[in-house]
Amino acid sequence: MIRTEHLTKRFGKLLAVDDLNLEVERGEVFGFLGPNGAGKTTTMRMLAALIAPTSGAAWINGKRIGQDDESVRASVGLLTENPGLYPRLNAGENLSFFAKLHGVQDITGQVRKYLALLGLWERRTEAVGGFSKGMQQKLAIARALLHEPPVLFLDEPTSALDPEASRVVRDFIATLKSEGRTIFICTHNLDEADRLCDRVAVIKQRLIRVDAPETLRQGLYGQSVRVQLREKAPAYLARVRELPFVTEVFETAEGFRVALNEPENHNPELIQALVAAGAAIQFVERESHSLEQVYFDLLRESETEA
Amino acid sequence: MNRKRLQAVVAKEWLDMRKNKMVLIMMALLPLLMVGMIVGTVYFMERLPDAEFDPETGDSGMGLPPELEALGYKDGVIILLNDQYMFYLLLIPLALPVYVAAYSIIGEKETRSLEPLLATPISTTELLLGKIIAASAPAVILTWLSFVLTAFGLYIISNPTVFAYWMRPVWSLSMAFQTPFLAVLSTACGVIASSRLNDPRAAQQVTAIFIVPLIGLSLIVLMGKVYLDLRIMGWATLLIAATTAGVVWLAVKLFQRETILTRWK
Ligand SMILES: Nc1ncnc2c1ncn2[C@@H]1O[C@H](COP(=O)(O)OP(=O)(O)OP(=O)(O)O)[C@@H](O)[C@H]1O
Ligand SMILES: [Mg+2]
Repeated sequence: MIRTEHLTKRFGKLLAVDDLNLEVERGEVFGFLGPNGAGKTTTMRMLAALIAPTSGAAWINGKRIGQDDESVRASVGLLTENPGLYPRLNAGENLSFFAKLHGVQDITGQVRKYLALLGLWERRTEAVGGFSKGMQQKLAIARALLHEPPVLFLDEPTSALDPEASRVVRDFIATLKSEGRTIFICTHNLDEADRLCDRVAVIKQRLIRVDAPETLRQGLYGQSVRVQLREKAPAYLARVRELPFVTEVFETAEGFRVALNEPENHNPELIQALVAAGAAIQFVERESHSLEQVYFDLLRESETEA
Repeated sequence: MNRKRLQAVVAKEWLDMRKNKMVLIMMALLPLLMVGMIVGTVYFMERLPDAEFDPETGDSGMGLPPELEALGYKDGVIILLNDQYMFYLLLIPLALPVYVAAYSIIGEKETRSLEPLLATPISTTELLLGKIIAASAPAVILTWLSFVLTAFGLYIISNPTVFAYWMRPVWSLSMAFQTPFLAVLSTACGVIASSRLNDPRAAQQVTAIFIVPLIGLSLIVLMGKVYLDLRIMGWATLLIAATTAGVVWLAVKLFQRETILTRWK
């Protein structure tokens, strides 16, 4: 649905996006992560046919950007970093204008549908300038959807939203995914990316890594479980080390962290061995790394490589 | 070029203008002042004794061009003055759109709506033509309205000769045909300034600077005491039309989507 080949953008001397190769499938929610200035917004702008790549190519829904921009724009819905609404116009008027520009057939119907879906129907006749940030953001999301685009670009959709509004927007994104839309999200909210995205890309000008969050975790840390004991003893540690399926053991404050390849199969044996050695087990839990941890480690790794 | 999208831009601009009291007041003010000034001066001059206008006896006397000598001094002087005022009326379509035009693109930059706007299938020509039509049409209508209101006023307070001279073809035709071009010309200059600059006040000033030479030109015609006939006005109209077409073309050419979208303040 979205494909880039050696996509590169320079602003004068500054290299904003460097040789990006990506492929996003239809119906996928794709997270685009990276520090400030990594080139996320710039990439989105290129993919929405707003700015031209310096070199390389990209396709949206089979249409090449730079060649068939009108159909690219027609198949893309864009939520920009700033809502960018007309403050003197009311919610309905803001949406109708964009619906007309997109050649939407049933303008009133579409406007009503999205105002209602995003909970703004009651406020449709108020000037948007008086809306709270969250309401403006929701209206901007509605605006991106009026022409029912198969591809959505969302630049930081929940930044500046309170937890409740973020939740509404996140749920809404999940609904959009279930409708089969391809969704490309730039975000600094890594928990959100973890929850929403099928795959994430970490970029800093260049692509650092792209994969499903879970795969990234396993790639970096393998699988491990945390064991918490009532009392620690050196013998327990030695016993765990002897087990053939255990790749590594680290001592922690309350017990150990045990790295092993197939926790589903080997955890029972691990527990049996510990119990047999006389250990009093309080908790055994899957070790979870936050996507944040993954993100930092990937960035650090890429820095040491460079 | 897609008519629907063009209409959408015009409609949105008008909707926005209607909700902007400041713009409405500013637009209404200039025409009202002009009409008041013209009708007011003629009213007072009509009440002065005829002798005041005789260059031999009166102190407000002035020489008349040969075309007007047959009319008598009082009517002659009023008509000469009205001819100057007519130029002022033709300044309305130049002056009125400046504010709206200077804001046309800068306003979109300020509200950050330019990016979502350019992400729709709208073409540069549709966007700019829409903006130009939206800003110039009210100026054209207000200018025509001022002309008609003044004519009405003159008809009531003055005499048939003065009224007939006000309505003579050289003026009514200029009003009809030059006004739209002048308004579009001024608007297109404003749109250029608005696409190139980031500060609305600077854009207004630059637009005003574009327009000053045009005002100068009209003053030269006046000071040379050229008695305007249809031939001169016809050529003037053609010249204005050609300039307008050129400036509109330039406005579209100079609108670089990418630079406008991403240029830093
Ligand atoms: N029009 C421009 N002219 C010059 N430099 C630009 C322009 N647009 C972006 N840049 C630069 O390109 C780099 C990438 O910017 P971009 O906005 O894509 O980053 P981002 O990943 O979206 O960052 P953020 O997380 O802060 O939104 C930055 O160094 C930025 O300063
Ligand atoms: Mg950004």
